[in-house]
Amino acid sequence: MRRRLSGLDWLLRGALILNAIGVLSPLLVMLVSAFKSTREIFASPFAPPSMLSFQNFIKVWQVGQFDLYLRNSLIVTLGALALILLFGAMAGYALGRFRFRLNDVIYLFFLAGLMIPAKLALIPLFVQLKALGLLNSLWGLILVYAAGGIPAAVFIMAGFFRTLPSDLDNAARMDGAGEWQVFWRVMLPLVRPALAIVGIYSAIPIWNDFLLPLVFIQKPELKTLMQGLTVFFGQYQTDWGALFAGLTLASLPLALLYLLLSEEFIKGLTAGATKG
Amino acid sequence: MSRSSHPRRFLGLRLERGLWLTLFLAPALVLMLVFTTLPAINALVYSLFKWQAFKRGAFAGLENFQRLFAYPFDQQFLRALSHNTLAFVVLLVVQTGLGLLLAYALWKHPPGLRFFRVTVFLPVILSLVIVGFLWQLFLNPLFGPLNKLLHGVGLHALALPWLGDPATALPALLLVNVWRWVGFPALVFLAGINAISEEYLEAAKLDGASEGQVFRHVILPLLAPSFTIIVLLTFIGSFEWFDLPYVMEGVNGTPAGATDTLALMFYRLAFGTVDAGISDVGLGAAVNTVLFFLVLLGAVLGALYLRRREVEG
Amino acid sequence: MSRLMLSFLRVGILALAILGTALAQSLTFWSWRPEDKEFYDDIARQFEAQTGIKVVFTAYKNTDYNTALSSALAAGSGPDIIQTRAYGGLAQLADAGYLLPIVSQEVKGLDKFPRTLLNAARGYKDKRLFGVPFATQTLGIFYNKALLKKAGMELPQTWGAFLGTLEKLKKAGITPLANGAKDGWTLEIMFGVVGPNFYGSTGFYNEVVGGKRTFNDPVFVRALKEEAQLTPYMPQGFMGVGYDDMRTLFINEQAAFFIGGSFEIGYFRAQNPKLDFGFMAAPPLVQGGRPWVSSFADGNYSINAKTTHKKEALEFLSFLASKEFGQQFTDKLAQISAVPGLTSKDPVLSQVIELTAKYQTPYLMLVGFRYQNPTGSFLLQNGLQSLLDGKATAEQVAADITKGVATWYAPFQGK
Repeated sequence: MRRRLSGLDWLLRGALILNAIGVLSPLLVMLVSAFKSTREIFASPFAPPSMLSFQNFIKVWQVGQFDLYLRNSLIVTLGALALILLFGAMAGYALGRFRFRLNDVIYLFFLAGLMIPAKLALIPLFVQLKALGLLNSLWGLILVYAAGGIPAAVFIMAGFFRTLPSDLDNAARMDGAGEWQVFWRVMLPLVRPALAIVGIYSAIPIWNDFLLPLVFIQKPELKTLMQGLTVFFGQYQTDWGALFAGLTLASLPLALLYLLLSEEFIKGLTAGATKG
Repeated sequence: MSRSSHPRRFLGLRLERGLWLTLFLAPALVLMLVFTTLPAINALVYSLFKWQAFKRGAFAGLENFQRLFAYPFDQQFLRALSHNTLAFVVLLVVQTGLGLLLAYALWKHPPGLRFFRVTVFLPVILSLVIVGFLWQLFLNPLFGPLNKLLHGVGLHALALPWLGDPATALPALLLVNVWRWVGFPALVFLAGINAISEEYLEAAKLDGASEGQVFRHVILPLLAPSFTIIVLLTFIGSFEWFDLPYVMEGVNGTPAGATDTLALMFYRLAFGTVDAGISDVGLGAAVNTVLFFLVLLGAVLGALYLRRREVEG
Repeated sequence: MSRLMLSFLRVGILALAILGTALAQSLTFWSWRPEDKEFYDDIARQFEAQTGIKVVFTAYKNTDYNTALSSALAAGSGPDIIQTRAYGGLAQLADAGYLLPIVSQEVKGLDKFPRTLLNAARGYKDKRLFGVPFATQTLGIFYNKALLKKAGMELPQTWGAFLGTLEKLKKAGITPLANGAKDGWTLEIMFGVVGPNFYGSTGFYNEVVGGKRTFNDPVFVRALKEEAQLTPYMPQGFMGVGYDDMRTLFINEQAAFFIGGSFEIGYFRAQNPKLDFGFMAAPPLVQGGRPWVSSFADGNYSINAKTTHKKEALEFLSFLASKEFGQQFTDKLAQISAVPGLTSKDPVLSQVIELTAKYQTPYLMLVGFRYQNPTGSFLLQNGLQSLLDGKATAEQVAADITKGVATWYAPFQGK
C-alpha cells in the first residue's frame, strides 16, 4: 500500500540529501587530491587533476612500506577491538543487569576512565610500559588502546543492557542455563546494535591515531599505518599529495568495517522486529 | 529468592552469582587499572612537584596551582575554559539535534536508505588530518569555494577569513566538528529508536496520536538511555577537545588564543612547542588536574542525574 | 551473534601470535625533519663506510617530536644522538642533565665554529657546550624578479621606497606581499625582518636582555606599528592566510614579495624550479644606511647523557662538524650549514650567507626570551595577531609582552 508522503517526510529526506551532499563534496576533493602534486593541490584544489597519475600511491606504497604498516595496524586495531568488545560487554552486562552494593562505585570508576585520554598521561604511561617491557611491542599498544576503549564500551553496553526487559535472563535461568550461557547466548545477541556501535566507535580513534605509536614504537618493522604516513609531514615541506593518497587508502579498511558492522546492525534490527 | 538455601553472600549477592559478577568485571577493571588509572594518578601527582625539564624535583605543594591561577596563565586558563564550555553547549544543541533528525529520517526507511546510512557516518571514520586539511581548504580566504561563492554573489562583506578571524574561528571549528561527528549520535539514536517495541508505537497510533505526538510522547522518552550516552560523551569530548583545534588552528589556538582549549594548553605546557613554548611539566600537570576534576564532577553529577531520570522515565 | 564476536577474537589472537624480533646494536639518531630522511640515510652510509659504525636515523613529525623525545628522556631512554632545538629548547634539556657536555677538543673542528652559533648550544644555567650546531637561518625578504620587472619596478633601496613599491604593486593589481597572519610564528618571523631597523637591532637586544630597557620602550612599540602598517599590502583576508597559503602565492607567482627565512629556499626550488627569485635584507631607513638581518642557530646535534656509545657518538659528531658534511648539507638541503667557511653554488643561498656574515643581529625573542613560559615568542605572536586584526594597540601588545616576560625574567621585574 502506498502511503502519502507528508511535508515532514519531504523535510527529512531533504535533510538526508543535504547531508549527503555536504559529506560527499569534501570527500570528492580528497579523492581528487590524491592524484595531484602538492603544488597543484594548493594552486587549484578544486580542479580535476591535470593528469591521471598514480605517482602518489606508488610513493606511499614504497617509501611508506604500506603493506607492512597495514599489517601492524590491523593487528593492533583488531587485537584491541577484541579485548574491548569482550571485556566491555562482560563488564557492561554485570553493571547493567545486576543490582549489587558496589554497582554505582564501579560504574563511576569506569566513567572516570573516560576522562583520561592517553595523551594526558603520556609520560607516566611511557615509564610504566618501559617497566613492563611493553615498549616497542604491538602488545603494548593493544593493551593501552584496549584500556582506553573499555570505559566507553562499558558505559554504552551497560546502557543498552539496562533497557532489555528483565524477564529474559531470568527465564533462561529458570530453564537451567548457567550464568555464562545467559550472557553469551541470551543477552549478548540482543545488544548486537550496541556491539556494532562500540566496535566502530572504538576502532576509529585507534586506527587513526599516530601519537601513541610515535611515542611507543621505534622499531621500523613495528610501525603502524598512520605513524608510517607521518614521514610525509616535514617541518618545512609536507608532501600533501602523498598524504592524501595514503590517508585515502588508510580510510578504506575502516569504511569496510563500518559497512560490515552496519549490515550486522540492520540484520539485528529486522530480526528483533519479527520477534515482535 | 530463597535466602536459606544460599546463606553465603558476596558483594551483597548469593555467592555463586557474586563470583560470576567478579569474573565479568575483573578483566575490564584490571586492564583499566593498569593502563589508564595508574598512569593517570601519576600524571595528576606530577602537579605537586617541581620539575626540571622532565626530571622530578622536590615536593612543591600547591605551587604549580598558584602559578596556574596567577597572571598570565589564569587568563589563558579561563579563556580556554570558556571555549570548552561554549563547545559543549553548541555541540549538545546542534550536533545532537541534527543527529536525532538524521536518525529519525533514516528510521523511516527512505528510498536509498543504504546509501544514506553510509553518507551519514562516513566523516566519522576519516582521519582528522584529512578532515582538518579539507576544511582549511574550503574555508580558505584565497582559494576556498565558500568565499569565492560569497564574492560571486556580491556578498563581499561576508567573505571573512573564517579560521583566522577571532570572531569566527571558534564557530567555524565547531561547525567542522559537527560535520565530522554528527553521524555518531545519529547512529546511537537510530539504534535507540529501533530498539523501541513496535507495540508502543502501534498503540499510540491506534489512540489517534499524530506523528509529532508519537515522536514527542513515545519515542523521545524511550530514547533516554541513548541521550545519557550522547550527552555524557559530548560533555567529555567538549572538555577534552584537542584534535580538531590542534590540526586546524595549531597548539596555540590561533588567532591570538581565540580557539584555545584546556587540552591544548596542557599539551603545549607539558611538552613545549616548536615555535614558541618551553615545556613546563608541573604547570601542564596542574592544568591536567584541574581539568580532570572539573570533568569528573560534571560527568558524575550528570551521569547520576541522567541515570535516575531514565529509571523514572 | 557470538559468531561476530568470535571472529573478532580469532583475528585478534591470530594477529598477536605473529609478533616482534630484535634490532642490531648501533647508534640511534632522532630528528624532527622527516623531509631530510633521504639525506641523513645517505650520510649514515658514508659514515659507516669510513668508520664501520652504523647509524639509524628516525624522523618524527615536527610538531610531535618534543612529545616523543620528552617521554623517552623522562623514562631514562631515548636515542644516542638527539637533534636538539637551539637556545631554550636545548638549554632546558642541558640544565636537567639529559645531554652530554662536549669538550670542544673531542669534536674535530668545533673550535672553528662562530661563538654566536655555539652559544645556541649552551645551557641556561650550565654554560658548557652541549651540541654541534647544524644550520643558521637568516630572515629577510624574498622577491619575484619577473613580477617586479613586469610592473617596471626597481629593487627598493630604503624602507620608504619599499612601502612605495608595495603601494604601486597594489595599484597595478599584483598582490604585493604573500604574508598572512593565521600562523602566529610567521608574524614573529616578519617582525624579525621589519623590527631591527626600528628598535635598533643588536644595541637594543643587548640592553633589553640586560634589563636596562623593556619592551615598553618607544622604539619597540614603533617597530610593532611598522609591521602592522603592512596589512594593506597583504592578501585579501590575510588573517586567515596560513603558512602554506603564503608559500603557494609566492611559488605560483601570485605575490611579489615574501617575508620569510632562508629555510624556504629549498622548498621554493623544489616546488617551482622556474621561479626566479632573489633575497634581500629589509632596506635601511635612509639611503646607504646599514641594513640588519635577524639570524639564529636552527638547532644542534647533541648526545644523550645516557648513551652507552659515547666514543662512537663523538666520532659521529666530528663527522657532522666536518666540511665534508657541511658542504653536502648546504648543497643537498639548500640550507646554510653551521660549519664555517663554506660557499654555495646557489646564488640566493650564497647571498644569504654573505648578508648573514656582514649584517646579522640576534633574532630577538628566540635568542633572548624563549627560556620559560610565557615565552617572549608566545606573547609576541599572539600580540601581533591581535594588533594586525585591530583588536589591540601596539602599546597594549608591548605592555603585555613586558608583563608576561617579567613573570620569570628577573631584570624586568618592577619595571
